[in-house]
Amino acid sequence: MAVPVDVIPRRPTLLFIVVLSLLFILMSLSSRTRYLGETRTMFERTVMTIFSPVPRAVNWIGQSASDMYHGYLDMRHSVDENVQLHQKVIQLTTENLKLRQSEGDLKRLRGLLGYSEQFTMPTTMAQAVMLDTSSRFKSIIIDRGSSAGIQVNDAVANASGLIGRVILTTKDLSKVQLITDSNAAVGVLIERTRRQGVLRGDGGAGAQLLDIPSLADVQPGDNVQTAGIDGIYPKGIPVGTIVKAEKGQELFKNIAVRPSVDFSGIEEVIILHTRKIPGEVVRYTP
Amino acid sequence: MRWLRFLIGLLIALTLHSLLDSFFPNALAFFNPYVILIVYYSMGGNLVGAIFAGIAAGLVQDAYSGAIFGLHAFSLTVCAYAVAYVNSRLVLRGTLAFGACLIGAVIINELVIFVLVNILLKQRIEMFEQGMVVKTIFTCLFGMLVYQLLTLFLREEPIDATRRQTAW
Repeated sequence: MAVPVDVIPRRPTLLFIVVLSLLFILMSLSSRTRYLGETRTMFERTVMTIFSPVPRAVNWIGQSASDMYHGYLDMRHSVDENVQLHQKVIQLTTENLKLRQSEGDLKRLRGLLGYSEQFTMPTTMAQAVMLDTSSRFKSIIIDRGSSAGIQVNDAVANASGLIGRVILTTKDLSKVQLITDSNAAVGVLIERTRRQGVLRGDGGAGAQLLDIPSLADVQPGDNVQTAGIDGIYPKGIPVGTIVKAEKGQELFKNIAVRPSVDFSGIEEVIILHTRKIPGEVVRYTP
Repeated sequence: MRWLRFLIGLLIALTLHSLLDSFFPNALAFFNPYVILIVYYSMGGNLVGAIFAGIAAGLVQDAYSGAIFGLHAFSLTVCAYAVAYVNSRLVLRGTLAFGACLIGAVIINELVIFVLVNILLKQRIEMFEQGMVVKTIFTCLFGMLVYQLLTLFLREEPIDATRRQTAW
C-alpha cells in the first residue's frame, strides 16, 4: 500500500535534527573508542563489510593492470635485450672471424718472415692485388712498384716456394710472371741428385723440367729447387715436385713438375732483390 | 529508480575513492566525489531522500577513510539538506546551477568538518582555507563535467512543479 504523501513532511526539520543528533552521538562514541585504542566500531565494520567488494575489485583490477603493465615492460625489456644480444653475437662473430683471419695471416707472415730471413739479399713484402691465372699467360699484380725498389727480373716467392719474376714495374704496382707461364724459364736442380735442368711453364697449372738426360736418375716425388744459375733466381728456393718422369723420344726425359705454390691462393709475396748479371758480362766474348 | 541511480553513483564514488587512494593518495584533498553525488541527488528537492542519501554516502566515506566514523555522514547530511532545501524553493536547472550548488555544498561540508573536528578532537585543520578553496574549485569543475555527461546520457526526473521558477 502506498504511503500518503501527507505522512512524509515536505520539510522534515525534526527528522533532520534527530539524524544529526544521532550522527553526533555516533561520532562521539567513535572518537571515544579511538582514544581507547579501538579504531573501528561494529557499525563501521558493518558498513565496510557491505561495501568491501568495491575496494577489493578496484584493488584487483589495479593490481592486474599493474601486473600487465609491468609484464609488458618486462617483455619490451626482454625484446630490447634480445635485439642487443643478437647485435652482440653478430659483432662477436665478426670479431671472431677477423681474429681467425688475423691468426691465419700471422702464421703465414711468420712463415714468410722466417723464409725471407734465409736470403742474404734485400727483400720486400708485397700483397697480391690481382691474379691472372686463367689464360695461357700467367701473371699476378702486386702492390709494390719501383718506389719500393722493385726492379724488373726481381724474383718473387712466398713461404711455399717460387712464384715467378717481375716483368714490369710502375711506381706503385708490379707485374709478376708466374713460373707456370709458357714463356717462363727457371734454372733448377733436383734436390736429391743435384741434377740441373730448366723448368718451363706449360701454360696450365704445372711446368716441365727440360734438359734432363734420359739416363739421369729422376723419380716422381723428387723435389725441385732453383739452381741459381740463371742470374735471376737465387739458389735453393723450392719450386715443385716431380709428378711424372718418362723417357722421351730424344736424349732427354719428359718430366712434369707440380709447382709447390698454389697460384690460385697467393696473398703475400716476398720480392727478392737479386743481384742482376750485367748485360756486358752476359755478352762478353773473349 | 532514483535510489537505484543513487546506489550506482555511490558505488562509482567509492570506486573512484579506492582508485585515487591506490594510485594518487593525495587526490582526495583536491576534490570530493561524494559531495558531487549528494548534490546531484539533492537537486531533486526531496528533503527526506537527501537526508538519507547524505547519511549513506557519508557513512561509506567514513568507513573507508581515517576520519571519525560519522563525521562525513554528518557534514554530507547537512550539505544534502541544504541543497535539497534550496531546490525545494527554487527550480535550479543546468550545469551552471549545479556548479553553484556544488560550490555551496563543498564550502558547507568543509566548514562543518572544521567545526566538528575542533569540537570533538580539539584539533585545528592545517591550511584549512587553502584546502577548501582548492577542493571547491576542483570539485566544482569535475562535478560540472560529470553533470554535463550525465545530462547527455540520462534523462533527469521531473522536478516538483510546486517550486517557483528562477532566472538560473
